[in-house]
Amino acid sequence: MSAIQQWFLDFGDSFHQAFIEDDRWLYLVQGLGNTLIISFFAVLLGIVLGFLIAIVRSTYDREGKLKALNGKHKFSNGILKFLNGICKIYLTVIRGTPMVVQLLIIYYVILVSVDNKIFVAALAFGLNSAAYVAEIVRSGIMSIDVGQFEAGRSLGLNYRQTMVHIIMPQAFKNVLPALANEFIVLLKETSISGYIGLTDLTRGGDIIRSVTWQPLLPLLAVAAIYLVLVMVLSFGVGRLERRLRNNER
Amino acid sequence: MSGSGEVLISVDSLCKSFGEQTVLNGITMEIRRGEVIAIVGPSGCGKSTFLRSLNLLEQPTGGTITFEGTDITDKSVNIDKMRQKIGMVFQHFNLFPNHTIKGNIMLAPVKTGLISKAEASRRADGLLERVGLLDRADAYPSQLSGGQKQRVAIVRALAMNPDVMLFDEPTSALDPEMVGEVLELMKQLAKDGMTMVVVTHEMGFAREVANRVLFIDDGQIQEENTPAEFFANPKNPRLRDFLSKVL
Repeated sequence: MSAIQQWFLDFGDSFHQAFIEDDRWLYLVQGLGNTLIISFFAVLLGIVLGFLIAIVRSTYDREGKLKALNGKHKFSNGILKFLNGICKIYLTVIRGTPMVVQLLIIYYVILVSVDNKIFVAALAFGLNSAAYVAEIVRSGIMSIDVGQFEAGRSLGLNYRQTMVHIIMPQAFKNVLPALANEFIVLLKETSISGYIGLTDLTRGGDIIRSVTWQPLLPLLAVAAIYLVLVMVLSFGVGRLERRLRNNER
Repeated sequence: MSGSGEVLISVDSLCKSFGEQTVLNGITMEIRRGEVIAIVGPSGCGKSTFLRSLNLLEQPTGGTITFEGTDITDKSVNIDKMRQKIGMVFQHFNLFPNHTIKGNIMLAPVKTGLISKAEASRRADGLLERVGLLDRADAYPSQLSGGQKQRVAIVRALAMNPDVMLFDEPTSALDPEMVGEVLELMKQLAKDGMTMVVVTHEMGFAREVANRVLFIDDGQIQEENTPAEFFANPKNPRLRDFLSKVL
C-alpha cells in the first residue's frame, strides 16, 4: 500500500473519529449556534449602548463646555456633565481590563443567581463591545465638519433632528469599516465563553479534542468555521459600504 | 439713512469674547425690513462673528439682539423657531452630502413641520427652476460645481421662507468665474425685497446692491453710510486705509 493511500486511510479514520463517531459533529453545531446567538445579541447591545454613550460624549464635547461658559441651561448641563462622567468611567474600566476577567466577574460575582449562561455571555460581550463602539462612533461624529451641524441648526432644525438626519448618517458611513472590524473582533472574542462552562464553537471543538485525543481535525474545523463567518461578515459589510458610497457619487 | 420699513433686527451693545480675546466690543445697529446691508472689514475684525451672532450660532457674551420684537438672547426663547425665520448662507456652502439637491432643500421645511412633503416638493421644484438647476434635482452635492452648490445653498435657506437672509462671505470659496452667478442671484433677491445682511469682500456688490455699508474693525462699527458716501468720502482713517488696499 502506498504512503498516499495509507495517509488517506488514516485521515478517514481520524475524520470518522473526530466528527462521525457518537455524532460528535453535533458539538460543533451546538457550539456554532451558541457563538452566533451570543455574538448577535452582543452586537445589538453594543450598538445601542455604544451609540448612546457616543451621543452623550459628543454632545458634551460640542455643547456642554460652551453652555457652561455662558451659564445657560444650568440644570440640563449638569445632567449632561454627570452622564459624561459616568460614560468616561465606564469606558476606562471596560477598556482597561481583560474581557475574560469581565466575563468571569459578571458570571461569578454580579449575576450569580442567573443560570442562563448564554444570556450572561451576551450581556458581558455586549457591555464590552459598547465601549469600543462608543469611541468609534464618537470619532465618526467628531469627524463631521462643524459646518454641517451649523447648517442644520441655522435652518431651524433642533439638535436631535440635526443629529438624526444630517450628522449620524454621515458619521455612520465614515465609521462603518471600523465598526465592522469591531464586530469581527467581537465574534472571535466569544471564543473565551468556555471560561464560564458554556459550549461555544471553540469549546465544542475542544470537547472533541479531549475525548478523542486528536487535536488536529476538530481545531482546524473550528478555525475554518470562524474564518468563513468572518469572510461572510466582511463581504456583507463591503457591499453595504459600496451601496452607501454610491449614494453620493 | 435709507429704509422706511419697520425694524426687523435691533442689536444693542453686542459683545462677544472667546476667553480673554474680545471679538465684538459693543455693536449697536438696526436692520429694517427690505434693507440690504453689506459688512466689510479686514480679516479677523469680527464681521463674521457679528453675522453669526444674529442667529446665535455664536452665543453673545453681552448685549441683546431683538428679532421681530423678541429678545433672542433670552435663554427661554426657542431659538430653533427663530432660526426658521433667519436664513443663512455659508462660505463653504455646507450642503448635506448624504441628501440629494432636492433633499437638501426639502429637509428643513418638512422636518420642522412647516409644510407637507408634497408642498415642500413643489416649493423645491419652483426654487430649483428659479436658479436653473431643476435638472440636477436628484444629483448629489458632490456632483455640482461650487457656484451651483452655493445657489442651491441659497434656495435651501429660501425654502424656509425666512424674513431675513444672512450671507457669510458667500463668494469667497468660489472660483472667480463662478462668483458672478451667485452675485446675480443675490441681486435678484435684493430686488425682490428680501432683507439681507451680507459679509463680503465684493466691494462692487456692496456699492451696487447695498443700501448701507458697515465697516467693522476691532469689534466695533467704525463707519456706516450709504454706499456712495462710504466709498467716495470715507471719514474713518482706518476705513480709508482699508479701501486703499482693496479697491
